[in-house]
Amino acid sequence: MSEPEDLELEALQRQLDDAFETTRPRVGFEDELWTRMQASRPAGSRLRDAWLGLIQAIREAPAVPMAAVAAVLVVVIGVSVLAYSGLRFGGGAGSSASLSSGGQPYNAGSAGAFGRLPSPVLSAGVPPKAANAGQPAAAAPDAEYAGAVTLTWTGKLDLGIATAPVFRYREPSTNSADQFATSLGAILQNRPAGYLGSYETTDFNVRVRGTVQAPAQEPSFIILPITAVAPIEAAGGPVDVAVVFLAQHSLAPSWPYTSDTVVSGDVSKVTLSRQFAVSGYGYAYLVDGTGERYGLEVDLKGNKPVSAAGPLPLSLESADYSIISADEAVRSVLASSSTSAGAANAPTVALTTAELVYSLVVAGDHSFYEPSILFTGSFKVNGTTYVKHVMVPAVDPSQRSS
Amino acid sequence: MVADRPPFEDLYRAYLGRIYAYVRAQVASSADAEDITAQVFMNAYNAYERFEARNTTPAAWLFRIARNSTLDHFRAHGRRERLRRTIEHQPVAEVDPSGVAEDRIQYHALLERVAKLPERQRDAISLRHSGLSFEEVGVLLKCSEDAAKMLYHRALKALKEAVAMEGV
Repeated sequence: MSEPEDLELEALQRQLDDAFETTRPRVGFEDELWTRMQASRPAGSRLRDAWLGLIQAIREAPAVPMAAVAAVLVVVIGVSVLAYSGLRFGGGAGSSASLSSGGQPYNAGSAGAFGRLPSPVLSAGVPPKAANAGQPAAAAPDAEYAGAVTLTWTGKLDLGIATAPVFRYREPSTNSADQFATSLGAILQNRPAGYLGSYETTDFNVRVRGTVQAPAQEPSFIILPITAVAPIEAAGGPVDVAVVFLAQHSLAPSWPYTSDTVVSGDVSKVTLSRQFAVSGYGYAYLVDGTGERYGLEVDLKGNKPVSAAGPLPLSLESADYSIISADEAVRSVLASSSTSAGAANAPTVALTTAELVYSLVVAGDHSFYEPSILFTGSFKVNGTTYVKHVMVPAVDPSQRSS
Repeated sequence: MVADRPPFEDLYRAYLGRIYAYVRAQVASSADAEDITAQVFMNAYNAYERFEARNTTPAAWLFRIARNSTLDHFRAHGRRERLRRTIEHQPVAEVDPSGVAEDRIQYHALLERVAKLPERQRDAISLRHSGLSFEEVGVLLKCSEDAAKMLYHRALKALKEAVAMEGV
């Protein structure tokens, strides 16, 4: 072989190395498949795996006295048998399944596995919002009612569950952001301050950032087209156009959601509001510090996407935590009104509905999605109707650190 | 004996990307690649208790399953059609939405060219650049280590010529 040919072959080998190294499945596929594999195995096999894992762990710790090992094994066997027979301890505080009913792949831990949790910063800071009659709260203008209110509860709350999962993610690195961008076919341009990276394809720019402390926001991405995006043909209107656009870029949510469209001028904003599946309860919305639902947003002009923004796909771990009862939640929300009822003539707000929701709690290297109870009511001041949200942390206070 | 094996999840996390890339270099769409990769790991998961670490490396074992699953895929989905496309050098007609983003990746065209090589050459390149040693490639392709090296170099030359002709 001639020397130039050798060099050409070496260059081709390097290209092949790069090609195989950069070809990876779409984001989320790894966890989806792992969950399917776990679900496909008989319970007996999973128990056997756990057993073998325990034996291996013991082998790796030879200094442990044999008597202690034997005692641990007896306890583990007992717990395993009870767990697989369907029995639960303490009112249902067992570990959760690895696949929620919403099809979200989670790595499940044992009950309370994350230790004491930081408390969400919620109710006191949620201002009432003016609402136009007949319009949903999400479409209301942001006219805040600054005065104090007195709260009453006239609704009915029955959560029907004693535990709820808490979800945790690890703060993504620049590497994680790069992998996400690579899955979109985007190349790193630079790392602007406050962002993990800015990336480009020939068609669009994508920026990725990590968790924001205040107001709390999980790691997210935003896509802005560089060139005009071709119109997307979809039969069902803006929501379908948005979903098709997201699917084309492997960004369709892997979590449950409901959709909503708000039209402003020639721009339609499609919001896919994120939900978490809670066994025994159903689906609970993700809300921000003001109690508003949020998730993934796509702005459209006609059938052309002009931007998309949403949470970075991340692997979530989950662990069940005991939550307060409905009565405790009501007592807690009513108690919160005494602090704000400074004025003697404060208007009375009748809270009429309540639901389980999730909110982000930022906590350094790991952050959490924690359950809360969101109470909602409306009241009138000077002829204007306002909507009031109040949130109460749902995790039992004994399992919270603050 | 059994405990000498690493937890299956370790293998899964370590090899998923490489197996996917290997499969993706063989088949027409990323959707097919996902289906086959899923099948590979489902089969491996169910067979893991029979895996003997002393007889083969985890990589060679997984790539053997991947190779068999890919061949099964071709058998099930019409080898004749694939051969026709290969001979005519026609792009795949089907629309593959999940592959749209991937199509932008710089080396996609090169992998497509690999997919058009004859089966053993394609395997030699794909397995080698998925991180297997020539010895492991030889075992999988049922030939000696030296024969695997020769096969690989012939494949590399064939690929270079094809790239030069098509301007990939």
